[in-house]
Amino acid sequence: MMLARVADSLYWIGRYVERAEHVSRLSDIMLSATLDQNEAAINVAHVALAAVGEEEDDKTGRATLEAVHDLIFDREDAGSVVNSLARGRENARQVRDQITTEMWERLNLLYLRVTGPDAEHAFTQRSSSFLHEIIADLHLFMGATDATMSHGEGWRFLLLGVHLERAQLIARLLEVCFGEAEGRLPLADHLTQMSVLRMACALEPYLRVYTAELEPKHLLEFLMFDQEFPRSIRYATLRMEEHLTSLARHTEHPAHSGPERLAGRLSSRLEFADMEEQQGAGPLLTAVVAECSRIHHAIYETFVAYPLEQRLPA
Amino acid sequence: MSAVRGLNGAGPQSEAPPQATPEFYRPAISYDEMLTPDGGVRPNYAALHARLSTLNPSDLAERQRTLEQSFLLQGITFTVYGAENTTERIIPTDLLPRIIPAAEWARIEAGLIQRLRALNAFLADIYSDRQILQDGVVPRELVLGAPSYRREMIGLYVPHNAYVNVCGSDLIRGQDGEFAVLEDNLRVPSGVSYMLANRDAAKRTFPGTYRTAGVRPVERYPDLLLATLKSMAAELRANPQVVVLTPGVYNSAYYEHAYLARLMGVPLVEGRDLVVLDNMVYMRTTQGLRRVDVIYRRVDDDFIDPLTFRRDSGLGAAGLFNAYRAGNVVIANAPGTGVADDKAVYAYVPEIIRYYLGEDAILPNIETYLCREPAQLSHVLANLDKLVVKAVGASGGYGMLVGPHASAREREAFAEQLRADPANYIAQPTIQLSTAPCLVDGRIEPRHIDLRPFILSAEQTIVTPGALTRVALRRGSLVVNSSQGGGSKDTWVLWDDEAQP
Repeated sequence: MMLARVADSLYWIGRYVERAEHVSRLSDIMLSATLDQNEAAINVAHVALAAVGEEEDDKTGRATLEAVHDLIFDREDAGSVVNSLARGRENARQVRDQITTEMWERLNLLYLRVTGPDAEHAFTQRSSSFLHEIIADLHLFMGATDATMSHGEGWRFLLLGVHLERAQLIARLLEVCFGEAEGRLPLADHLTQMSVLRMACALEPYLRVYTAELEPKHLLEFLMFDQEFPRSIRYATLRMEEHLTSLARHTEHPAHSGPERLAGRLSSRLEFADMEEQQGAGPLLTAVVAECSRIHHAIYETFVAYPLEQRLPA
Repeated sequence: MSAVRGLNGAGPQSEAPPQATPEFYRPAISYDEMLTPDGGVRPNYAALHARLSTLNPSDLAERQRTLEQSFLLQGITFTVYGAENTTERIIPTDLLPRIIPAAEWARIEAGLIQRLRALNAFLADIYSDRQILQDGVVPRELVLGAPSYRREMIGLYVPHNAYVNVCGSDLIRGQDGEFAVLEDNLRVPSGVSYMLANRDAAKRTFPGTYRTAGVRPVERYPDLLLATLKSMAAELRANPQVVVLTPGVYNSAYYEHAYLARLMGVPLVEGRDLVVLDNMVYMRTTQGLRRVDVIYRRVDDDFIDPLTFRRDSGLGAAGLFNAYRAGNVVIANAPGTGVADDKAVYAYVPEIIRYYLGEDAILPNIETYLCREPAQLSHVLANLDKLVVKAVGASGGYGMLVGPHASAREREAFAEQLRADPANYIAQPTIQLSTAPCLVDGRIEPRHIDLRPFILSAEQTIVTPGALTRVALRRGSLVVNSSQGGGSKDTWVLWDDEAQP
């Protein structure tokens, strides 16, 4: 049992932290890919920018470094790393009594560094290690969460946020390459394939399963359906279902239309999907993004903004 | 709380170095906590003094940096909202502890307990029979006419007559070395988290000195606070649900609210988390509504219930006061306690103590002139250049004249206001606060300080053996308020004065 507002904040900490990590990683991979001045490198940058929803004409003609700078520091851009960290940390401050000191210190320190007066200079001087440190610090935060916070209700809300955000972000990344929309960017070359795997932090785990013979089909299969890789859509959906089932156990809501049912349905759909029969992955990826957003609303209606009359204590 | 604690009355002679002072520290003419006027080290400071004489300035500066870093990391900050961007600053914290001998503390403790017992009895009286007003000990209109007197509280039952559960009085030590009470903070006193954080830091900075000195612990404060709050609801339910009510993350004391909630293990709620239905208070949880029995509110009276007090408040819960009146929830501190720490009522506290307890006040007041009395008004007007004049209802240094620092024109303008509404003002002599060694720019220098101990009261009254010592960081300044560049330092209360090396 915890305050509804607190549950909401913990959930958003999870989402913002995951988003900050994803955008930092995409930025890092964009920068390292464009060290090679060729067609493939430009393709990688396009994939990355499209995956975080940047309009392409927006960035044409601009140096990658400049685009990345904005992805990190632009206060106007709701999805920038600085904004995600600021909001995640602001949520953490609002539930400071509910998270552990170890978690708070990790997140606060990272926030102070990225918003500090030296941050932009540090980024210009050594962009790659700057981004690398953000990602490493976020991993420390998740590690502290795992190692120091009780694995109870609050922890589940936080991880629910992480996995919901992750499923959506990976689905969006795959939509760029396998989606139905016009102007999709096929994984034509080796560099782009490698880069997409690295954007999902999946290169090494993928190689262990499929070896270095990269295949777009295998790449899609791995990132969508692998049961063990923590950043596959399937894995994230299974965790969402698990946390929601546990959270819903104590909630006496009358109509059983809870988010755990939606998550269960999505996870079955992924389990029994047959890519050969379908028109490709496009419709399924679109469904994943849409279902995640329905689950998000259901979480809100079930745990946070429920009607009062129905929820008086017995 | 007022910003200015008195005035720097030190003349040119204060610049002359006292004899036989160790070269690393030279106090001015005020009472100094570490050194006697002839330069000897007071026994309670022996351990710290010995340690300081072995440390060089760069050691100290390094320790200070480590301390500040750790405060920033923990988020012990207040937010400064600017036009362009928002920054967070730490409250300046001084490395060197202030040390109080056991015998002095015993007197402070007895004095604070006596004072709070009398003030709680006073509140119980003025919200029921008003005997003290009928007996003419305190002027009737002074109490009943004060905006902080809450008619809504008349006739309400308060367990143990404990209207004030948490008190943070401000004490100062004058030139004569005696402690006196400057203000009773009976509403929503803050600063206790800094007491605990400073202690944590001091133990890490001076572990050896801490052990040698024999310091009384303050770490029990959170669980004693919880026990105090729970005992207020003992008649309500066996295991009452306590919550801390905060105005929210934008309040400058938010860190403290979260800190206390975390250390007590109770929910930190905002007004929007609370719902009142049929005079019962609930909080919105993920599993529906849950009963709340005790609200440790860190929100002022005016804002706790828009239906009873200020209508425009979004910080409280509508209907909260009715639930309180129905006896279904405890609000701590009780609404309406502010009338007893009013600056004019303050002048009567020694009388109040005598009236209810039949004792003389152990801790004296600062001499206070009530401008409502014509004779005292004319004395104040004749001595404006020596006095500090404060508006009764104001705090934070507003509506205030510091005579010796003001120009003749300012004094004349203020005298106009005084004559126009004398009942709204009191005056006090300027007090030279005591000094303690502080680390300033890598050097150890005397700075003026005050003392804010914390008293808990319900079934029992308990004074935590420690305090927040506030420091005026600018040389010669007597302003310890954090909004005016004040800082704080840890306060060590010793177990035993004989145990000194």
